[in-house]
Amino acid sequence: MTGKWQLKDHEAERTLFSGRLMVAGVFVLLLFTALIIKLVNLQVSQYEYFSARSDGNRLHSQFVPPSRGLIFDNRGQLLADNQPIFNLTVVREQVGDLEETLDYLDTLIDLSDDEREQFSNRLRRNRVPFTSVPLRYVLSEADKAKIAVNSFKLPGIAIEPQFVRQYPLADLAAHSVGYVSEINRAELDSFDDEERENYGGTNHIGKTGIERTYEDLLHGTVGYEIVEKNNRGQVMRRLDRTDPIAGKNISLYLDSQLQIVAEEALGDFRGAVVAIDPNTGGILAMVSKPGFDPNLFVTGISNKNYSVLVTDEINTPLFDRSTNPYPPGSTIKPFLGLGGLHHGLVDYDFTIEDPGYFRLPGVRYRWGDYTLRTAIGGGHGHTNLQKAIYQSCDTFFYDLGNRMGIDTMHSFMAQFGFGENFAVDINYARTGVLPSRDWKRATRGEPWYPGDTINSSIGQGFMWATPLQLATAVSIIANKGKVVQPRMLKAIDGVPYQPEIQDPVADVVVNDPDYWRYIEESMSMVVHRAFNDVFREYGTAYEAIAMADREMPYRMAGKSGSAQVVGISQEILQSGDIQVSDPNKDHALFIAYAPAENPNIKPQIAIAVFVENGEHGSSVAGPIAKRVTDAYLLDILQIDFAAMESGNDELISLVNE
Amino acid sequence: MNNQDFIRQSDGLDSKSRYAKSIWQAIHTDPPLLLGISLLCGFGLFVLFSASGGDVPVVRRQALTMVVGLVVMFIVAQFNVHFFRQWAPTLYAAGIGLLGLVLVVGVAKNGAKSWLDLPGLPSFQPSELMKFVVPMLVAWYLASRPLPPRFKHLFWSAVMILVPAALIIIQNDTGTAIMVTMSGIFVVLLAGIRWRIVIAGFIALLLASPAWFIFLAQEHQKNRILTFFNPYRDPTGAGYNIIQSQIAIGSGGLYGKGWGQGAQSHLDFIPESNTDFILAVLAEEFGLFGVLLLISVYLFVLARGCYIAYAANDTFSRLLAGSITLTFFFYVFVNMAMVSGLLPVIGLPLPLISRGGTSVVTLFIGFGLLMSIQTHGHSRAI
Repeated sequence: MTGKWQLKDHEAERTLFSGRLMVAGVFVLLLFTALIIKLVNLQVSQYEYFSARSDGNRLHSQFVPPSRGLIFDNRGQLLADNQPIFNLTVVREQVGDLEETLDYLDTLIDLSDDEREQFSNRLRRNRVPFTSVPLRYVLSEADKAKIAVNSFKLPGIAIEPQFVRQYPLADLAAHSVGYVSEINRAELDSFDDEERENYGGTNHIGKTGIERTYEDLLHGTVGYEIVEKNNRGQVMRRLDRTDPIAGKNISLYLDSQLQIVAEEALGDFRGAVVAIDPNTGGILAMVSKPGFDPNLFVTGISNKNYSVLVTDEINTPLFDRSTNPYPPGSTIKPFLGLGGLHHGLVDYDFTIEDPGYFRLPGVRYRWGDYTLRTAIGGGHGHTNLQKAIYQSCDTFFYDLGNRMGIDTMHSFMAQFGFGENFAVDINYARTGVLPSRDWKRATRGEPWYPGDTINSSIGQGFMWATPLQLATAVSIIANKGKVVQPRMLKAIDGVPYQPEIQDPVADVVVNDPDYWRYIEESMSMVVHRAFNDVFREYGTAYEAIAMADREMPYRMAGKSGSAQVVGISQEILQSGDIQVSDPNKDHALFIAYAPAENPNIKPQIAIAVFVENGEHGSSVAGPIAKRVTDAYLLDILQIDFAAMESGNDELISLVNE
Repeated sequence: MNNQDFIRQSDGLDSKSRYAKSIWQAIHTDPPLLLGISLLCGFGLFVLFSASGGDVPVVRRQALTMVVGLVVMFIVAQFNVHFFRQWAPTLYAAGIGLLGLVLVVGVAKNGAKSWLDLPGLPSFQPSELMKFVVPMLVAWYLASRPLPPRFKHLFWSAVMILVPAALIIIQNDTGTAIMVTMSGIFVVLLAGIRWRIVIAGFIALLLASPAWFIFLAQEHQKNRILTFFNPYRDPTGAGYNIIQSQIAIGSGGLYGKGWGQGAQSHLDFIPESNTDFILAVLAEEFGLFGVLLLISVYLFVLARGCYIAYAANDTFSRLLAGSITLTFFFYVFVNMAMVSGLLPVIGLPLPLISRGGTSVVTLFIGFGLLMSIQTHGHSRAI
């Protein structure tokens, strides 16, 4: 019974099981069919789409920034170099939670708040998606290792090598060479499409000086490459590449050795020195002191460092004193004297009897002779133009200016670049002020008073000029009226550069060319006319320059100037009751060129020295000019004046070349 | 018991002719099944070589695991399946005991506290054993009862399935718990449970799933479900895996990019490219044809498994063979469906293709049981 029941059951169970297995089989086939339909959908119907997505995943077109052109000085010394550094960069699109990632990075390499803020500024800028944004420039080896080890936790974070600007001479030519820094929002907005493209891979742009002026030359043309990246943004392969075109290497007229001498000569003073080769217009030295380290700006100056630079109201290291205007003081006297000769207001024999002050007819005010204020009273007495220049007699020029009138003064002085920027490639230089009736009416809404002319005739009042302008003007005297506009750029990629000047400045022509010789003689007397028995008949700079160096092998034509910063009456100054605080002291100026009065060789250097609150033009600014001139003529050009005297023509022609 | 006596007698009668039949019979190996398994293993190593980026030690270790698996399979096949039938309750009790032990002294790996590190034994997962112990016990229980099973029998079957499943869920290993449950459910389904109960159960499950989603599901589980419906709700987070996997599969096209040429996998866009997502590598490098070839081999293995179940002589063998085969299918399908975006992501490897240790050995134990059923039982069919 039992056995039978089981056997029957056995058959039924087998049938039941087979039925169920069949159903299962059908399910298996149905499910596989569904799977295959899904796969066909992915791999056939949507193949194009996913294929593109796959390429989009891995292929990235990226900019290859061109290497920035180098800047050399006159003698091939590097002024601006490119140095490799390693940057920590972030591709925003590949980072999940940015804050979290930054917090994690902070635990690895200590991000400062400053860095985070600068980074978020960079992120906010217009940028091409999927490009890397620097988080930190210049990673140390230790930090590099920490990032590399943890790179799997840091998608979108990469270490990228980059070449950045380096200024080997640091402070030395910070203002004239300038610096590059990160492109800012305003600069990006000012780009047209083509420029924006060209700067696609570039983080830096020239901000000041040469770096800015010749940005187009230095930057070069961007390249492109198509790279394959893995999911952490690391480049695995380069597939296609269009090479960038490097920026041009440029050479300047600037001579770093002379620059160093000028910088040292200024000592602890604030001030500026501009030296120009009058034959080429090339700027040999352009120093503004105090300087600053331009390298700080390249990789993003920290707020702390920056505030140190901008809050120093006395030293204002970022302020370029060489291209900003100051009252020129007595340094304008040779130009005004030349104008007097040219316009027939004075001649070689004309003299005045100087009582030590000047009075306009019908005006009670007396214009004192500032050059005498520290000396014993009285005037210069019997004074002609030559003495008025080498003794810097104010009274003579009050009278001359008064008779010349502001209109003539303006038109004559303008020929020397006052009130204008003659420089070919220093477009950021200020133009100062060469006052005129129109200027006063336009800026002050007042008519021109005769007293204004009197102030202007000694380079005070409204008259303002930059050290660059003074150096340019004195170079025109050195050239006897021939204008060679000052310039920085000497050669591009070793090829001498001749700029195309849109409106060339006309040469200065005077009625009698002998006037040039006369002015040169007068300026030479400023430096070389020795003390003698006659009262006040020596050159103002004789003691500080020619007497200090009796071996001086060449003659120098110069003119000192002391420009008043605030009006302090002579009585108070002489009483000695009050101490004039440092920022209120007069500015000291000296302009010069050399060699002067040399039949064998033309002037080789024209120079303007400005010493802020230096008080005495002849004794403070004069020796600085002397030292720079010595360095250029004797050390750099190595002119053997003694040999020249003995008539070595061969050597002379060699030097003149 | 009578039945068994009968079998023993006929076994003895037929023994001579069986040995004469074939050498395969003698070593208790089923050639078609071995062929299918070998093809899968070979294919798996081939794909793994590319997926691991040409990492020879990884491939060598995987090959060694497969050799160990084959040896285990061979050993298991030497035992008559009725040996397992007799020992099923004991094995089950031991399995439950080990699961309990894991709860106390278990070691956590990859987030699941499911490993036992007993002195003198290699570390292993007792939950893996349950994948064949549970169907064994349910088959043992139902085979000795009239089929289709009564409700009372279904109830006890459910208890047998759910107790180990619950213990495995406590270990935080949902994937294995699902597999263990499914292997038991397959036995019940094959045993002839009435369709209306199946349908009712299915409907109940459908109705309960929203409640599960709202009240019981953990955050990552909810995320997976939501991501399944829209991977782009979090393309760089939860949806990243499935998006990159689909890109890999889709960009493979009909013929694929070629062996070792899969950009998605070689540039590390595919996560878990050696393990759960290895199908994406295969699909990217060998295209639709490559996947179809793989499916064909799987179908061949499944068909052979079904035949073994169909041809088996007693209910226990049939139920066990059917459950092992369907569980294998379940593995294959769930993994493929999840990688291609047809199912939410569940952490299950692709059998014999994905890199892995313990689970591979479990699979081979299953194949060993199939071979045992095929080679020990057939003599009795006459």
